[in-house]
Amino acid sequence: MDQFQMQFVSFARLVMLAMVPYVLASQGTMLGGRTGLFSVSQEGIMLVGASLGFLGAYLYGSLVYGMLLAMFVGGLFGLALAYFTTTLKMNQFVIGLSLFFIGLGLSTLFPKIVIGVTLQPPLIPTLPDVPIPGLSQIPILGDIFFNQNVLVYFAILLSIFLYYLLYKTSIGLELRSVGENPKAADSLGVNVSVMRYVTAIVGGMLMGLAGAYLPMVYTGTFTQGMVQGRGWIAIALTFFGGWSPHLIFLGALFFAGVEILALRVQVAGVGVPYQFLLTLPYIATILVMIFASRRVRAPAFLGQNYDREKRTLS
Amino acid sequence: MSEQTTELGHSIKALADTLIPYILAVVAAFAAVGIFFAAVGFDVLQAYSTILFTSFRTPNGFVQTLLKYVPLLLQALAFTVPLTAGKFNIGGEGQLIVGAIGAAAVGIMFSGLPMLLLLPMVILAGIVFGGFWAAIPAWLLYRFGINEILTTVMMNFISFSLIDYVATEIWRDPTAGHPTTVPIGAGGEFPLLVAKPPLNSGIVLALAAAVIVYVYVNRTPGGYDLVATGANARASRVFGINVRVMFLLSLIVGGALAGLSGAIEVAGVHHRLIEGLQSNFLLLGIIIGLMARGNLLAVPFVAFFIAVLEVGASAMQRTMMIPVEFVFIVEALILLFVLLSDVVRRR
Repeated sequence: MDQFQMQFVSFARLVMLAMVPYVLASQGTMLGGRTGLFSVSQEGIMLVGASLGFLGAYLYGSLVYGMLLAMFVGGLFGLALAYFTTTLKMNQFVIGLSLFFIGLGLSTLFPKIVIGVTLQPPLIPTLPDVPIPGLSQIPILGDIFFNQNVLVYFAILLSIFLYYLLYKTSIGLELRSVGENPKAADSLGVNVSVMRYVTAIVGGMLMGLAGAYLPMVYTGTFTQGMVQGRGWIAIALTFFGGWSPHLIFLGALFFAGVEILALRVQVAGVGVPYQFLLTLPYIATILVMIFASRRVRAPAFLGQNYDREKRTLS
Repeated sequence: MSEQTTELGHSIKALADTLIPYILAVVAAFAAVGIFFAAVGFDVLQAYSTILFTSFRTPNGFVQTLLKYVPLLLQALAFTVPLTAGKFNIGGEGQLIVGAIGAAAVGIMFSGLPMLLLLPMVILAGIVFGGFWAAIPAWLLYRFGINEILTTVMMNFISFSLIDYVATEIWRDPTAGHPTTVPIGAGGEFPLLVAKPPLNSGIVLALAAAVIVYVYVNRTPGGYDLVATGANARASRVFGINVRVMFLLSLIVGGALAGLSGAIEVAGVHHRLIEGLQSNFLLLGIIIGLMARGNLLAVPFVAFFIAVLEVGASAMQRTMMIPVEFVFIVEALILLFVLLSDVVRRR
């Protein structure tokens, strides 16, 4: 392999690595959105997921426990969102923000209770790479796609599965109909509330896992605010991907690419102050929103609550 | 006479109807966290008395509370004014930071000017810079219809890099360990309202802003348009109100208010720009605005209550080693219970 090829492979590998939290959080957002639930608590759920994922792994000595704990709590947040908005019919933005606050508060509270305030926080082992036999031997592609940690594979398979579920099965059709026109879906016998509860809980679990990924792959420990806006970016990314699993996956690659590029340029040192490079993902997000506002449509009933006793929608 | 009595009775009843859900929410939130406290083994009563009474035990505690009150009130207004028009400004943090940068820049560059000139310039710079930072998402909303929640949050993250650049590259104070600028000119500092313990006059500006905003929204035709837009944008458009301009202006005014709080932090509290000076004011400001249900009359009172809790929380962490986050959870729970009381009332 020549110099350029090695550079390319290592860049592409890192992009695949960095794509995971975006994919998980955005697919979770997409699921809820497809039934009309617009969550804005991603950042908070991811923070709690990062915090508890780290603590679970630290206390029980296994990353799997950390992931399960993060997903469990993420699911609880999803359940809360569904209950307050679908059953109690409260404003989705207000509830989403409240859950974001609670997640933010809990994320720093748990480590203080469990570990206490220390100068040197304990470390957990990071998620190991699991080469897939045979496939990982393919030159270039093997290194990029088949010599990664399990969550990279999971993110890819999840995106394929969700695409199949949404567009090739009747459940997917019903699910999409709830977000487009819940009244029509209801009249055809689709249980709107159940759909919303399920997507909110599964979505929350994915967001929790997305958070747990950060200490498990990047840092080995939890630090305050370590999600760094990825939860908010995931919302933009979901819009950008037109609420479709396959496009969201591509969008996640784009954002991961921006993130890695900014890091690379920073390390290489090109004379631009590093602070400006750090803003790249956020500026990219705004640009992407401008693009999405023109070309992409969101589920028609996004952000609204459905009351079957009301005559009209909205 | 009897008519007057019934009227008085009605208004007392109305006030009670408003206050009772709040009181219940506060009690319920404290009770819920208290049970957890007791289970973990903390001294619940001492913790709660520290949280509630630190502000009133010493003059210093009270001044600390007022100092905290100023940014909280302004952040809450920065969130509530756009909310009146139905828009969510989650960018108060960035607007505060950029306002603070503007104030510090003017205070440093023109440090030789006398107070009569420099202080107004510093305040104005904070307002203009904060308004500008909000104008970007406001314009994106106006021009492209882009959801303001996301863009205002993104502007926060961009502002973190900006303040870091200003405090480490442009006007860095080499003697400080933490990213900090050199001090602003003495003429840019707020005069003290009380000398000991020191209380700067920023609180006067904050309260004035609260009064002006309240009067404008509730007593002028422009304010009426704003409220109508928030109540029903579609009907307002039919009625001839340019709702998109209302969205735009309400967000910019929100940014200006947050920028003012940035200027007060620089010119009143720190006398320089310090990275991290925004603290967690944004989140608390949103909590205050939502707790007050967007009511501009209630915001100053709720903000004071939260300032008391926050000062108490720091004291509790200092003296009892109980993490401040507990109080944040209490605040979030109060908000949730206040919101839930609406649901209960609806039934």
